[in-house]
Amino acid sequence: MNKPIDETSKVAQEPVGSVDPEAIMNDPDDDLRLVALAQKGDTRAYDELVTRHRGRIFAMIRNMIHQEADAWDLSQEVFIKAWRALLKFEAKAKFSTWLYRIAHNTVYDWARKRRIESAGEFNDEIFERERIDSASFTTPSGGESPDATMANGELRLKIQIALGKLSPDHREVVILKDVQGLSYKEIAEAMSSSLGTVMSRLFYARQKLQALLKDEYDSR
Amino acid sequence: MNTTPDEATLALWLDDELAGADHASVEAWALTRPEQLAAREGVRRWRATIASAIPASEEPSYPDFFNSRVLQAIREPAPAATPQARSFSWKSWLMPMAACAGMALTFWAGTKATTTPEYDVAGAPKAIPVEPVVYTPENGVDAEWFASKEASATVIVLNGVAAIPDATDFSETVYLPANREIDSTAGIELEPVTEPGQ
Repeated sequence: MNKPIDETSKVAQEPVGSVDPEAIMNDPDDDLRLVALAQKGDTRAYDELVTRHRGRIFAMIRNMIHQEADAWDLSQEVFIKAWRALLKFEAKAKFSTWLYRIAHNTVYDWARKRRIESAGEFNDEIFERERIDSASFTTPSGGESPDATMANGELRLKIQIALGKLSPDHREVVILKDVQGLSYKEIAEAMSSSLGTVMSRLFYARQKLQALLKDEYDSR
Repeated sequence: MNTTPDEATLALWLDDELAGADHASVEAWALTRPEQLAAREGVRRWRATIASAIPASEEPSYPDFFNSRVLQAIREPAPAATPQARSFSWKSWLMPMAACAGMALTFWAGTKATTTPEYDVAGAPKAIPVEPVVYTPENGVDAEWFASKEASATVIVLNGVAAIPDATDFSETVYLPANREIDSTAGIELEPVTEPGQ
């Protein structure tokens, strides 16, 4: 059975697909057309959506938990959960924002399970900077000189270490705003928070990060 | 218009999220406030710094495999949304009762059994052929297995094992509770140490 399963409703009694055709027409990203197809059970359309969004979801999760293997698994979980809840998606928000929200919940569920399994022994390590694979951050991303690559790799490592010192909520808001480029409203939707909470968290998170990166930041 | 924007509007302006009339209004207000313009430049510089160092998108390793795993998972039937109603069957009450009856019977049989130990020197443990062969991971080490039903004991003798050096640190091979767990003073409120004369 390929159709996404709406766990909260009787699928057989409801029309398949809930995306407004007008929204599809006005979607600059063309995601909603694929979502509408996927809601009808088109796995190829969903495969295309996965291809489009896997990089951002993986980067967001990896920046949150600093473990590539777990980030890989959790990113998969995000797309599997999204498929299973796809009939609930009504295009009130962008598809990508909806995915970020699922990613947010998935990461926090994972962290909660880790705390329970380790009986609190490794609480501080779940989001810890010691887990950062420093070698991975100096990998050339292409299109820049070797010096720039090295400088950016070092800067990235410093930023990642500084991010690791923030609380998970503060870290996430920085990642979503300053790395992923979401608006305040989108972050509030993704994190199920109020706009004021997001603004406050971002303000304090940036202050702390800038203090931690003072030397690096001032030299630029 | 030159009214002071509220905090939320100002935060949106600082992050370049305002548009239209709201944006024009705050821009007009900020024109005479260089500190606000500097703050906005600071936020822009900060975002540029972060964006230059950390990519917003990173392909996961083996992206094709990533997709295929997702597709494989979504083609499998989803887990049931709600647990099925618990049904009562004869097993639900018969099995615990049978277990209790079994324990009671075992206990009664134990009280009736004669347990006089008989240790006969003549019947001391004898080497018995080991079948199957006891595995020893080190070459040159042989194992012999002695068992005695009367003594309820089994002894395995290893011949050829090198002497264990005195310097071997066994603490790395065993679990040692953390200091706090073995602290006999745990739970005792310690009085703060005060310097004489204070």
